[in-house]
Amino acid sequence: MKRWIAILAVIAIAAVLPLLLSPTGYWIRVLTFTLLFAAMAQVWNIIGGLANQTSLGHAAFFGIGAYTSTILVLKFGISPWIGMFAGGFLGGIAALIIAVPTMRLQGHYFALATLAFGEVMRVIANVWTSLTGGPVGLSVPFVPPSIAAYSFKQLLPHAYIALIALIIVTVIFEAIRRSAMGYRLRAIKENPAAAEVIGIDTTKVKLQTAVISGVLMAMLGTLYAQVAVFFDPDTVFSAASISIRVALIAILGGVGTAIGPILGALFIIPVEELMNDLFSSGAAGLSQLIFGVILIAVILWRPRGFITVFDSLMARFSNKARS
Amino acid sequence: MGGVYAVISIGLTLVYGVMGIVNFAQAEFLMIGMFVSWFAWAYLGLDPVVAAPLSFAVAFGIGWLVQGQLIARVLKAPSVAQIFLTVGLLIVIENGSLLLFGSQFRSVTTSYQTMSLSLGALFISVPYLIAFGMSLACGLALWWFMRTSWFGRAMRATAQNPMAAQLMGIDTALMYKIAFALGVGLTAFGGAVILPYVTVFPGVGGQFVVLMFTVVVLGGLGSVAGAVVGGLAVGVIQALSSLFFPIQLQNLILFIVFIFVLAVRPQGLVGASR
Repeated sequence: MKRWIAILAVIAIAAVLPLLLSPTGYWIRVLTFTLLFAAMAQVWNIIGGLANQTSLGHAAFFGIGAYTSTILVLKFGISPWIGMFAGGFLGGIAALIIAVPTMRLQGHYFALATLAFGEVMRVIANVWTSLTGGPVGLSVPFVPPSIAAYSFKQLLPHAYIALIALIIVTVIFEAIRRSAMGYRLRAIKENPAAAEVIGIDTTKVKLQTAVISGVLMAMLGTLYAQVAVFFDPDTVFSAASISIRVALIAILGGVGTAIGPILGALFIIPVEELMNDLFSSGAAGLSQLIFGVILIAVILWRPRGFITVFDSLMARFSNKARS
Repeated sequence: MGGVYAVISIGLTLVYGVMGIVNFAQAEFLMIGMFVSWFAWAYLGLDPVVAAPLSFAVAFGIGWLVQGQLIARVLKAPSVAQIFLTVGLLIVIENGSLLLFGSQFRSVTTSYQTMSLSLGALFISVPYLIAFGMSLACGLALWWFMRTSWFGRAMRATAQNPMAAQLMGIDTALMYKIAFALGVGLTAFGGAVILPYVTVFPGVGGQFVVLMFTVVVLGGLGSVAGAVVGGLAVGVIQALSSLFFPIQLQNLILFIVFIFVLAVRPQGLVGASR
């Protein structure tokens, strides 16, 4: 009961917050991207946390989503809302294509294979100029603002859409975690051989999570395209700024927990923005350097993420309350 | 080219073979090696090939510290922590060098840069030939070291069974330090050797990272002999794909080979199944 009140309170705060920020300002943009990246990290968490397969190629699905909806608008005038589902469908197929041969791989091998897959997609998007516009990138065409056309004058509706997306993927994550599938995944994670023996089709379960994760990631790609308005292959298929970043957010926050990606995004995205702001006038690379140092420090200090800090604080708090 | 690919990748495979860690930051040490050698050329007037041992030494030192201070702490952690520690290292090294050296491209000029030898109808460029020779010598030296020296044997023992090695009185923590330092040192050595025909800038590691992983995976992660075979294979694949495909697609071919090998034969072309 208490738990539900806490969750509702957090959602209420998140729902009010965008209204307090200047609708044309800088911080609403930061908030929108924080929510969006939290959702992306949550989607990564489905495969990275629940199935324990460290994917470094989620940019592949993300980019597919961004490109599919934008190309559909450009060439056929189809609303991004529909394009989002088309992108999700293609993202699912892509996930299937890469997951079928690589799902047997574990740990480092899987990370390497997915990393390469993301790069394959980036190269294809750069080369297939007739469809994607190549390295020049695509601009989402301007249409008169309306909900049906997924076009708004301000960022405020985008912030709410990102918030809703975050809530939806978090609910999906929790639902999977608590379902029979979640238990199967946990069994596979603890001991794959034993899981096979008791009759779990490990390949099938892992494939399911990969496809779910791929579909959702592609749909979030559409949301990103609509906010960013312009993108090119090197941004949406980027290994560093998409694939590794979303995995990082989930890991820093706490892999395999519903709250982890949200904590991670709340920390990383604003810190990155702040550093870009502070040091953009200084030497190039400084903010990224600090980012890397923070990453190393957190991994050495808390290999299981911020969630452990949160937990120990909660434990201390409840101990005090009791005594 | 294949021989050079082998030597820069041997370091990666050595680190994996001994420690079971895939070092995503390995290509950054290639960049460090190239920078050391470039500075040696610019300020000391040393030829990159002569400066290669210097590159090796610098990277060896950095590797020693990195292993002792950072990586040793996550050896027993989940693979996720290991992957992201080396990714963090990659970000730090790349941006650190961007900060120190700026983003401009640097290259060296040597007397033999544009020379080539003709072997009948075949023309072989001299810098390539030198790089190949140096790589070969380096690979042989490593092989000899691993085979015959006490350290080599102790390192192989550590790779096979760290616990047993420790019981036999081998300082496994020291072995890990040597293996990691040696691994990144070799990659830096390769970086110095290719400097005559590759320009250096902070992001240069990114151009080689796929290549290195493809080489290593082709040969079988952890297998030094495999890295040599993989290096030659990648050299041939590149040469062939440049005949049939436009230049932008060359990397794509490598990626596809890479995924395909991982999927079909993760232990590599020559590796025994584990």
